[in-house]
Amino acid sequence: MDRLRESIRNNLKLIITFSVLAFFYILAVQGMSTQDWVITTLRGLSVGAVTFLVASGLSLIFGLMDVLNLAHGTLFMIGAYIGWSTFVRPDTFVDLLPIAALLVAGFMIMPLWENLIGRLNLSGRIARLWPWLGLGLAALLAVYILPRYPIAIWDAEVYNDSPVSWTLGFTNGKVSSLVQPARFSGISATAAVLGLLLIGGLVALSAAGFSSNRRKAQRARGKFISPRSILAALALLALGIVLIVFNDPITGFLFTLSTNWLFLIAVLVAVLSGAALGGLMEATLIRPLYSRPIYQLMLTLGLGVIGTEFVRAIWGRSGFTMPRPLLFEGSGEGCPATTFSAWLEHRCSIILVDIAGEATRIRVYNEIFLILGGLVVLIVVWALLRYTRLGMTIRAGVQDSDMVEALGINVRRVFTLVFALGAGLAALGGVLSAPATGLSDLMGANLLLTALIALAIGGLTSFPGSALGALIVGLLQQFIIKYGQIGIPLPFLEEPFKPTPPLVPASTVLLMVIILLAMPQGLLGRKE
Amino acid sequence: MSDLLEVRDIHTYIGQFHILQGVTLRVKKGSICALLGRNGAGKTTTLKSIIGLTPPRVGQVIFDGDEIQGRRSYEIASMGIGFVPEHRAIFRDLSVEENLKLAERKPDDLKRKEALIFDLFPDLKRLIHLPGTHLSGGQQQMLAVARALVPDNQLLLIDEPSEGLAPVIIEQMIEAIRQLSAETTILLVEQNFLVASQLAEEYVIIEEGQSVQYGNMPELVKDKATIHRYLGAA
Repeated sequence: MDRLRESIRNNLKLIITFSVLAFFYILAVQGMSTQDWVITTLRGLSVGAVTFLVASGLSLIFGLMDVLNLAHGTLFMIGAYIGWSTFVRPDTFVDLLPIAALLVAGFMIMPLWENLIGRLNLSGRIARLWPWLGLGLAALLAVYILPRYPIAIWDAEVYNDSPVSWTLGFTNGKVSSLVQPARFSGISATAAVLGLLLIGGLVALSAAGFSSNRRKAQRARGKFISPRSILAALALLALGIVLIVFNDPITGFLFTLSTNWLFLIAVLVAVLSGAALGGLMEATLIRPLYSRPIYQLMLTLGLGVIGTEFVRAIWGRSGFTMPRPLLFEGSGEGCPATTFSAWLEHRCSIILVDIAGEATRIRVYNEIFLILGGLVVLIVVWALLRYTRLGMTIRAGVQDSDMVEALGINVRRVFTLVFALGAGLAALGGVLSAPATGLSDLMGANLLLTALIALAIGGLTSFPGSALGALIVGLLQQFIIKYGQIGIPLPFLEEPFKPTPPLVPASTVLLMVIILLAMPQGLLGRKE
Repeated sequence: MSDLLEVRDIHTYIGQFHILQGVTLRVKKGSICALLGRNGAGKTTTLKSIIGLTPPRVGQVIFDGDEIQGRRSYEIASMGIGFVPEHRAIFRDLSVEENLKLAERKPDDLKRKEALIFDLFPDLKRLIHLPGTHLSGGQQQMLAVARALVPDNQLLLIDEPSEGLAPVIIEQMIEAIRQLSAETTILLVEQNFLVASQLAEEYVIIEEGQSVQYGNMPELVKDKATIHRYLGAA
């Protein structure tokens, strides 16, 4: 009994918070029919799930490194666009993959360069100059090779060849017939392979130079490539060559896959690219700025803008949709499904559920799959934080990363990993939400704002807080939208009050202001 | 006996402040050396300069024959230096066991050292699943020392182990550190001269960022004038 009383007293703040939230939710439900509130709640959860994927990454990164990554919305968007590209144009993916593999394989000779630099012990001006020289040479080579390398790609300027048309072609099953076989022209395949390896090697050279310049005080120590990384480099090299040689058969194989598998591949590719991009961003650009938070903030803001322009340059300014995988695309006979087995058989995009005596249409992908996806990520990341050594390091590092380092743990590597993890989560959010909401060059900026608000509401550094905040923001948005259609009956008013669309973002900001005034740390944040 | 640690004329800056302006010290293998001096003299910064959290801009730190200044903290720690910071720095979101596990450098470190740790600090065994927040000051200090014992460290840097503790707990702490010194070398920062004089065999006095005097502890205990001059009333 005493223990119960004590635990109630310890968690009083939480209990009150949840009671108030539940009260408002019940109040909001009162003005609607049962059918409406179920659908609105599902939609809110779905928006919340996507918001959570972005907000959780932001909160992990902010918690551990004190970096508010304003490029996170752009990473979300890039995830969606890369996912679309892999899904709709597997041929482009097969063309690009060997480039990435070969570049990384070339880059992996970096320890060799470091060793050499340590031995040469170059002096001031030359040491500062030649990393730039390496980078410049790499850029020159890239400019020579890449245009001659056969990459099948759309052209956003020409309507018939734009992403919009390709999406249409995909839905009609015509993409595979439009794909041209990949042929090298103006450069031999061997030269391209060697050139790409060389570019990777040159970038590694300049990276080694930059990092040795940064820590001048340190004595050069012998570094050698470990057997494991030699194997990895060779494997990447082999992968690249195989992909180039068997480009057409592999592309053909991908086109014969069911869209479910293709979607899975697209999700994986998007997440891995997002993670790689995030890790790269941290290791090269953000790391030198840890002692200068304002510059860091400006850097991430700038990177976000650059990323958006990059997306516009490649995929065009106009938005388009991403088809759903087969599993959620069924229609016609047997659809909408009314039972689970019927859904499984016909893979209907819509199911009919009996709610309060009325058959209600629920969209499987948007209103069920996305929520489940968010839930799975919530559990997986929570387990990662709770039960793995990396999670333990993250939880400790949030409090005092210096002390973690003094225990003998390479915190810098953990920083890069967490940045990659956060970026990967954002990209996952992007690729999962693309079939539901489509792709546009504004999707990143919009979601970043929502995610930041969710984070402020939930508590900036709290992982469960990011989930709660995302949930609240998602529900609030969807309820306001619904009430915009049916109106809120208010006393003293003849007409029911209908919130207009601009009130949707305004309401979440208002909620944030109210919560932060009452609880400056957010709902689940900790007082520092 | 040879020196396990040697610090040669290090200068450390924090921001633009020149905190250490020439600290030199030697710690013999297997001994306890006390770093003495007034508040703000630079004792904590000296420890942090050795472990690399505030790397010295000038001077050398030599550990077990290797120059370690300018290396990353985690590399220095991995060479076999345990750091017990001021204010303990226990991780709140981690349980006692997780706090210890985090200090592992090899997967079975904790399992090997469990007996030793629980022998020194029997309290911790009982608290093993509690979160770091639920510990008293004394228990936190024990955990902070225990954490440095999990990996095989040759040298422990212990900062103010008696700070803010009740006399009974201080006694326990002194006993524990004395037992530890049988196996490891210890560089100890201690405000409480009584504690330092009971433990250390040698001392170094730091005054305004400079090491000004060193010698054997028993001689210092007799030298009331020096104690008064550098450490205030003793």
